[in-house]
Amino acid sequence: MINRLKVLRAERNWSQGDLAEKLEVSRQSVNAIETGRYDPSLPLAFKIAELFGLAIEDVFTSPSREN
Amino acid sequence: MLRGENNSTPAGRAYLRRFWPTMISYVVALFGATWALRHFHPTGAALVVLSVLPAVPVIAIIGVMGLYIVEERDEYLRQRVVSGMLVGIAVSLSVMTAWGFMEEAGVLPHLPGYFAFVLWCAGWGIGQCLLGLRERHAGHGA
Repeated sequence: MINRLKVLRAERNWSQGDLAEKLEVSRQSVNAIETGRYDPSLPLAFKIAELFGLAIEDVFTSPSREN
Repeated sequence: MLRGENNSTPAGRAYLRRFWPTMISYVVALFGATWALRHFHPTGAALVVLSVLPAVPVIAIIGVMGLYIVEERDEYLRQRVVSGMLVGIAVSLSVMTAWGFMEEAGVLPHLPGYFAFVLWCAGWGIGQCLLGLRERHAGHGA
């Protein structure tokens, strides 16, 4: 799933490790989500959006709206 | 079977704490039961108990693996381990099925049933390697 995680993280000067720590997941998880290789569960997607103070659709692009 | 990053989570560390004592008890049970069977030639209930003894820690290891899946809070790592396990299932079922037919035809010698677990572990390892390679090709960001 396309997402703005890398941009949002860069805006805050956070490394993947920093974000992983805040989300209480592994750095590999952050990397997999950022590169679109893994779609997070709804609870984790909410947690990510809430961390950035955004709505889920502001972080993740709906697959039906891709392209 | 778990990769390094899995061991960094509380569930991964709990897995290791449970895995090694169980593995040591397997080695002790295997050598102890084999030695007792050869020296005492037991019959009846004693034979049943001694012959099944090495299987008990193996079953416990399967339980330890299951506990890891239940306890792992990192959903990505959990999903990756389960994917590796599914590769293990595919490998073990495929090899055991093919071996069974070839054994029946007299092409291959008898393969004890406990090799199913060994093949599953090997398949799981192969699966983890393939997933790791895919990850490497996808690249790692900062």
